[in-house]
Formats: sequence, C-alpha cells, structure tokens
Amino acid sequence: MSSVASTNKHVGQSKSRSRNPYRLMTENTLSGMARRKALMGYLFLFPTILGILVFTAGPVLFSFVLSLFRWNVFSPPEWIGFVSYQRMVTDSRALTGFWNSFIFVVFAVSLQVLLGLVLAMILQSHMATWLRYTYRTTFLLPMLMSGAATAIVLGYMLHKEFGAVNYYLGRIGIPPIPWLTQPTWAMVSVIMSYLWLSTGFAMILFIGGLTNISNEILDAADVDGARGLTRFWNITLPLVSPTLLFAAVTGVIGGLQVFNLPYIMTRGGPGDSTRTAVMVMYESAFKNMEIGYGSTIAVVLFLVILAVTAGQFGLSKRWVFYQ
Amino acid sequence: MQSTMMPTAPRRSSAAAAGDFLRYRLGMWLLLLVTTVFAIIVVAPFAWTVSTSMRTPMESFSVPPQWIVLNPDWSNYARVFEEIPFFRQILNSFVVTLAVVVGQLFTASLAGYAFARLEFPGRNLLFWLIMATMMIPLQATIIPVFVIISRMGLANTLWSLIIPALPTAFGTFLMRQYFLGVPKDFEEAAVIDGANQFSVFARVYLPLVTPALAVLAMLVFNGMWNDFFRPLIFINDPLLFTIPLGLNDLKGYMATGSISVVLAGVTMSLIPVVIVYIFGQRYLIEGIMMGGVKG
Amino acid sequence: MNTTNGQGLSRRDFLRWSGVTAAALAVAACAPASPAPQAGAGDAGAAAPAAATTVLRMQVDPEQEQPVVDMFRQNNPNVDFEFVSVTGIDHEEIAAKILTMVASGQALDLGYAATEATQLYAGQKLAAPIDEWVQRDAEELKEYFTDVHPSLIQAMMWEGSLYQLPIDFNAANMYYNTGVLQEAGVEAPKTDWTKDDFYNIAKATTKKDASGAAQTYGYAWTNRLWGGWMPWIFVNGSNLLQEEEASGGEWLWSGFYADDPAVQGRGGGWRWTAPKANDPANVEALDFLYQIYQEGITPAIELGGGDTLQGFFTTGKLAMTPAGGFWAGSLKNAGMANDSFDVQLMPKWKNQRHQFGTAGQWIFADGKNKEAAWDYMKFRISKDAMMANGMFNPVTLTTPTRRSMLTAERFADTGPANWQVFYATLDDHPDTAPIPAPPISNPMTALFVGYTSRAMNGELTPQAALDGMQKELEDLYARNPDMYTKAS
Repeated sequence: MSSVASTNKHVGQSKSRSRNPYRLMTENTLSGMARRKALMGYLFLFPTILGILVFTAGPVLFSFVLSLFRWNVFSPPEWIGFVSYQRMVTDSRALTGFWNSFIFVVFAVSLQVLLGLVLAMILQSHMATWLRYTYRTTFLLPMLMSGAATAIVLGYMLHKEFGAVNYYLGRIGIPPIPWLTQPTWAMVSVIMSYLWLSTGFAMILFIGGLTNISNEILDAADVDGARGLTRFWNITLPLVSPTLLFAAVTGVIGGLQVFNLPYIMTRGGPGDSTRTAVMVMYESAFKNMEIGYGSTIAVVLFLVILAVTAGQFGLSKRWVFYQ
Repeated sequence: MQSTMMPTAPRRSSAAAAGDFLRYRLGMWLLLLVTTVFAIIVVAPFAWTVSTSMRTPMESFSVPPQWIVLNPDWSNYARVFEEIPFFRQILNSFVVTLAVVVGQLFTASLAGYAFARLEFPGRNLLFWLIMATMMIPLQATIIPVFVIISRMGLANTLWSLIIPALPTAFGTFLMRQYFLGVPKDFEEAAVIDGANQFSVFARVYLPLVTPALAVLAMLVFNGMWNDFFRPLIFINDPLLFTIPLGLNDLKGYMATGSISVVLAGVTMSLIPVVIVYIFGQRYLIEGIMMGGVKG
Repeated sequence: MNTTNGQGLSRRDFLRWSGVTAAALAVAACAPASPAPQAGAGDAGAAAPAAATTVLRMQVDPEQEQPVVDMFRQNNPNVDFEFVSVTGIDHEEIAAKILTMVASGQALDLGYAATEATQLYAGQKLAAPIDEWVQRDAEELKEYFTDVHPSLIQAMMWEGSLYQLPIDFNAANMYYNTGVLQEAGVEAPKTDWTKDDFYNIAKATTKKDASGAAQTYGYAWTNRLWGGWMPWIFVNGSNLLQEEEASGGEWLWSGFYADDPAVQGRGGGWRWTAPKANDPANVEALDFLYQIYQEGITPAIELGGGDTLQGFFTTGKLAMTPAGGFWAGSLKNAGMANDSFDVQLMPKWKNQRHQFGTAGQWIFADGKNKEAAWDYMKFRISKDAMMANGMFNPVTLTTPTRRSMLTAERFADTGPANWQVFYATLDDHPDTAPIPAPPISNPMTALFVGYTSRAMNGELTPQAALDGMQKELEDLYARNPDMYTKAS
C-alpha cells in the first residue's frame, strides 16, 4: 500500500522533465523510461484487464442493471427501479441471510486465523523433523477436498443417530448432538466443516510469516527477559501482522462467498438458520426465478464485501507493522 | 535488564531451573497430545471416506463405525466406471485445470509485476478495481458470462471453462505481494546494465518468485479441479463433464445412488490431486517461507 | 545476472514466453473436441446424414435415451439428436440450467419435466400445448391412453390443454422391511390398514438398547415436497393448497376415456389457487408426526433426497418409510434381497388418498422443429420405445405409466412382491392426485420444507409452523396474482 506515494512522485517528475530541452534524446532519458514503463505496464496488464472487463466487469455491470428490473427469464424484463432494494430491506429471509453470513464470517474467519496461527506456532517449536513433516502434511490434506465432497462426507459423519461423531461422543458419555437438525448446531456444523477444510491454508500462511521473523530478534527478546506471552504479544504478533491482514482479508472475502459447502450440507436449513446471503441470492435467481431480485442481493453483498475489505485495510494502519 | 556488551540470561536457582525444565517437557507433551488429537480429527473424514468406499452400502451405517476394512469390496470402484465415463471426465478435468493453471500463471505474473514494479497512470485505481472483482460471487455473474460464451460459440466445449478463468484477481494480488517483497536493488542493477522492462521482468524478477508461482499453481489447481457450478451451467455433454459433475451423477435420481459408489468416486478423484500435492508440497512450503506474505 | 544485449535478448525472451503459452494452449487444444453431436455416432462411425436433416436438441439422460433414439432413427434417418444432460440432480437444480439456457437464447426442442415444473413451463408459455397433434394423431394414441390412468394425464394439463405425455410416475406408498417386522412379531400391513394399525406397527418395531440409544426405528421420512409428510396430509383428507378444477379438457376425456368412470369430474387440469397450510387437518397430521418423533419412533428429520434413509432401511434399522416405484431398483442396488422388503398402500385415515408425481417430455414453444419433436415424443411413449428405454430396462429405475408394463416379470428380480400396489394406487383410488405444484412450486416448496424442519426440530409447534407457513405462502401468492386466469 505504500506504493501510492511513489507513483505520484514519478508522474510528477516525468511531467516536469518533458519540458526538458534534452527530451529529444530518447533511449535513456528518464521521461522516455517512464513512458516506456507506463506502456509496458499497460501491456503487461492487457490480458488480465481484457479478461476481467469481458468476463467479470461486464457481467457485474449487467447484474447492477438487472437489479433494477424484474425478470423471470421467460418474459421480457420489466423496469421497477429500486423496488427490489426496498423489498430486500423488509424481507426477513434476505436479512437473515446477511445476518447468517455475518455470524459465519465472524466465527469462521477468526477461528481460522487463530487456529492457523496456533498450529503454525506449534509446528515451529522443537520437535523431530519427521514429526513436523507429518503434522504439516496432515493439516494440509483437507485443502484437497472439494466443498461438495466435504459436505457429503461430514454430513454423514455428523448424522445424529448413526454418524461416527456422535458415536464416539456417546462413548465418553455425551448425549447425541443434533448437529444438522437444530438451528444453532447446524451453524456450528457448517462453521466446523469450513474450518476443517480451510485452516490448512491459514496455517501455511503463518508458517511463512513466522519463519520470516529472524531468529536474532527472538533471541534478543529472550535475552531481555521477554518470554512466552510477553514475547508473543510484543514481538511475534506485530511481526506477523502483515500476514494476519492478508489472511483476514482473503478469509473474509472467501467466507462471504462460500456456497457449495453449506448448500450441500444443510440447504440453508433447518428453517433459515444456515442460509447465507449467497444462498439467498442463488435461490432467488435460480429457484424462484426472480433474477432481478437475486441481482439486488448480489449488489448489496458486493457492497458489503467492499466496505468490509476497505475497513479492514483502513484499520490495518493501526495495527499492522511493516518492516 | 538491558545489558550491552555481554548478554547473559538471568540467574536462577537450580531447583527453579529444574522446575522450568519439567514444565517445559510437560508443556511439550501436552502440546504434542493436542496436536495429535487435531491431526486425528483432520484425517478421520478421509479415513471414513476410503473405508466406506470399500464396503457395501448395507455396512456403511453399522455402529460402531469400522475404520479398517477386512474384506474390501472393490465392486463399488467398478461401479463408478460403469455409471459415468470416469476416465474421460478425469481427462477433461486435467485438461481444463492444467490449461487454466498455465494461463493464470502467465496473466497473474505479468499483472502482478505491473502493479508491483511498473508505474503508470491509474495504477492504484486499476488495482482496486481488479480487487473489487474478487468480491463478486460466481453465481451472480454466471448468466451474463454464459450469454457471452454462447455468443462466442463456445458453449458446451472445454474452452468455455478455460477462457473465462484465465484472468485472475486473486492471482494478481498474490503475485503483486510477492513481487513487492523482492528488494529493488536487483532491478536497479539490471537497469544500469541496459536491459529493457521485459527482460527485467523475465530474467530478474520471475526467477526470484518461482516459489510464488508454485503456490499460485497449487491453489489454482485445487480450485479448478473442484469447480462445480461453472461446468454445470456451461457443459451439456456427459463426455465433456469434469469430475465434480460426474461425481454428482453418481448420486443418482432422487439420491438413490449408493453412497459407497459416490465415495469410491470421491476417493479416486482425490488421487491426482494428492499426487500433485505430494510433489508440489516442497515448493509450496518453500514458497511460503521464502516470500512470506507482506501486506 | 544479466548479459547486456538490449533488444535482441528481450525479443527472444518474449518469444520464449509466447512459446510456452502457446504450448500450454496447444495442450488444451488437444483436448477431445466436443464429440459429434449425433447420437448416431453411438454405433460404428458417424451416420452420414442425408440432405435436410433436422437436429433435435433434447434434455435427457444420454445413456438411458440412446436405445430409444436408435430405434427412432431406424425409421427416421433424417433426424439427428443433440443431448443436453442434466441428470443426477434433483428437479430443483435442473431449473438453474434450463433457465440459463433460455436466458441466453439457446433453444432446445424437447425438455423433460416432472409435476413440479409442469405448470411453470406451461403457464409461462415455454412449453407448447400438444392438443392439436394429439387430436390429429388420435388413432395412434388411443392405445396409449387406455394403458395410462387419467390421473396421470390430468396432472400434465393446464387450463384445458395437454402439454406432456407422462412416461414415468411415482406415487408414495409405504415400504416396509419384512425382516424387521418379522422380528418384532407384527403382521405385514393389509390393503385397508388404518393409521392406528400403522402406529401399532411403528411402535412395535421401534427398539432401543439398554442405554436408550436407538437400534431400530419404526418410521422415517425425508423432508421434501414429494413424499415427506405430504402423504399424511392427503390421507387426512386435506392438501397444502386449495384445489380447483380448470375448465375445458372435454376433448381429451370424451375422446380417449369415453367409457371410463375414472374421468368423472375431471376438467382441464389442476389449479392450486390459494394456500391452506394451517388447515386443522394439516395441523393434526403434523402433530401426529411430531408426536411419534418425540416417542422415539422417528429419527431426526433431515433434508435431502434420502441417502441416509436408504442406508437405514437396507441395514435393518428402519421398519417403514414412504417411497415410490423408483426404490425397487435402488434397494436392489444397495444389496437388499428382493424378499427382504415389500410395499403397501398408505394407511387409511380420513380417506386413503395418495399423492404422486409424474413426468414426461415437453415441446419448447420456441423450438424450430416442433413437428419432428412431436414425432419423437409420440414414438417415445409407444410400448416398444418405453420397453427399450433405459429408465425401465434393464433395471426399473422409476414406475412406468403404462399399466401393461407393470408385470410380475419386471419386479421378479428386484422385488417388491406386492408390486401391484403401484398401479392399484391409481386404479383403485381415483382420487389419487399429483403433489400440489402451481407455477410457483419452487419457492412454495422452499417454504414448505423450511417450516416443516422447524416444526420437526421443536423450534416451533406444528400449529405455529403451519401458521407461519400459511402467512408466507399468502405473501407469495400475493406477489404472483392471477397465475391461472391471466395465463390464457
């Protein structure tokens, strides 16, 4: 993010340089350099920008526009202005969807980041190399499963009467838990499954971040008597904060858009207790054939993600420490 | 307790030191225990998947759950091949995934480099625009994308899965972070040598971020391999289905398919991913460790 | 680090880069191109099309359809087919695919839809009425109509016109595990058994072990529109929505069922005009199901298509559950011997009215090849074609609508022994009706299933759940006024 200042600086410089009487010298003048750099910049970006314009930006604009219409695909779209937005504000199902997404993200992302950090720290401590390797491999394995397959498998294992989980819980005296049939438990199950699937990635990020903390700093801290919690709070955490930010940002963006796992596991049930905003959007568009309304929800979701991400970056100035 | 010349650890009595040591060992063991429990929880679903795939559906729900299968029944695996054109679909998945991986490595490294090391007007705005596109759920844009694909005449071909996936906001973001982590000295040395932008990119920076490329490659591989919704909408012909669609077919009409067969399919579809993972894991770890991720 | 060669080097590099990318794309290009769209390619080599071929785009399961297509092409070599496959997915998900195709202007010629979608497609004029063709080819079709019960036909009508020719159906009957019943010492249910008989059997077959954990359940069901607890609503003399009969349809009934008493009172198709979710009979039914859940007779109700349910049934952990003809083959696949289960009508409560769903092909109103599509549709319901269809042959995956096709042979291998029940549900009970499925059946189903789950997990009392359901259904109907009247 610190690149903002440098961009402006250079643009300013080349502007003044262009009045330089020596501007006719091409190859190695700074202005020529800057111009060629700019051109290269656009060239390098070309495939990505083109692709995104065609396949993302365009469709997104289309969604924005569609949210002002009522369209069920079979008949022509009908202009209704912002009626869908008004409807959404009073639609308890849509509001529940956003609320559920919020709850899900708050718990899932914070736990994901926390667990990832804890696991990474555990793997940093002294242990046999083979053991460390085994643990690392194991924790990364769930990343390989698809959301759909995870939903199926864990759905079976969490079955109240015949699932493996309740069986083992029963062996230690815990009565069967209605994992997928009670609203609160259903959300817990979805969050747990998501954590199972995605914590490995967070762990890897933190392993990287932690490894980059030079041992000298840690040793110096030790010497100074800072140990354990103090050391963690005052040294480790700040040094790993850029990674924390990346993990949090990508975690939130991903968490707000997760679809396959909850959809296949609970279909949003029981009732609406695990129905996320994305699910409400999908069902409005494809099941209820209200494409306009679905687009409305998509637009609002997009704005929410944008706001949250911007907020995260804004706040990050306070707590993220760059070397 | 700052010492300047000779840092020494504070003195402690030997009893206290022994107590420390014991606590340390105990702490270590506790930590290992907890970690092992976690590890078991993580592996359990895999074990259950594999073991159930080797049993008949009738045995799948026996309680207590059996983890070790004494008489593996391989007929479920045979059934997978009978019900869906499995090999063909695996091939489709491979083709699409590999093409997208290579394509994204290409576009992401170019774009990430541009955002990290090239200056041009509107750089920040463009970056944020691209980041913003990460925030749109796929389902919201699927209809217009499908319309575009159909107009291009690519509906029901593997190209329809490849081309829209070539530009990547996430990949661009990732590569940009890694490129930012490369000290500028390298570039300046090359510039002094008279090299032009492209060779700076290709010969100086790119080799330095190969671990990042490995990271991106593995993440993209994983994502494309498991992509379900886009193939569902874009592809009509079962011979062109990718594996997630094929596995869905195994579930049968009104979910009457056998769970063991479904799990057999899931197990088999994991094999290529696991292989890639085992080979790539070293690069993945190296990549994360070398680049680290800076905000 | 860098040899200085200025432009030359960079050009080479760039070429090298392009080379790598080109290679990658070449690999992708080596991907098998979309196979020839002709179904005829199934046999040796592509059939050389004669001049003026028609290509029919059909939404079907290619494997099941192939034998029928082959037979058709023997007499109609000028017709080629392109398959659009959406199988393995529940009817709900098919909508996403069809919708996207329609939205992008990709025309199909023939679709395949079940009751849940019939009125949607008909009401939106996506499907073309087939009245004219049916009347034109009445002679050929007489045989079909005598073999198919009018209930099934009526379910495919909309406002006086026919839209589909039903091919397969499934009524919810009660399946029971003979072993479990024997162990509990109870007799198998008879044709006219009552709700109380049901309760006694369910109670007797529910076993718990010493710690109170369940070993066998007496009854279980999956929460969905078809099956689920809808059969109980029906046998309690009620429905989720208010029923009405559309006018018209005489041409059909007098044309093909002139002497059949079963067509009395049938008109131009079903209308479900208003919700009555919280009708006292419905509350009574839901109360009953909740009560037996609390008594431990029923396990926790989960959403979905029934995977886990089948598991319990096949492993002897479940005594009874409602299912249709489609279960016969599937239980066999799961390893059940054909005498380890059997089927019976639903028990009698206030009446013994059953519910079913049925499906058939439909013709896209905007299709370019409607004549050819009709020819195929007509062929597909012929006896020979149906016998060859992968849906019924070699394994019976769903119940054929033709009475004559339900024979002892068909079910000899898979069971059940009491297979006559499937069609008896129609023949002996002319009041049997399709599941309620107005054009807004998708959101309606979501509400139905959602509130049901909240009642069954104790979050809401059955009365409160149905009240909530009623309110939201009323809102839904209010957003979609005049579904039936403005259609024509």
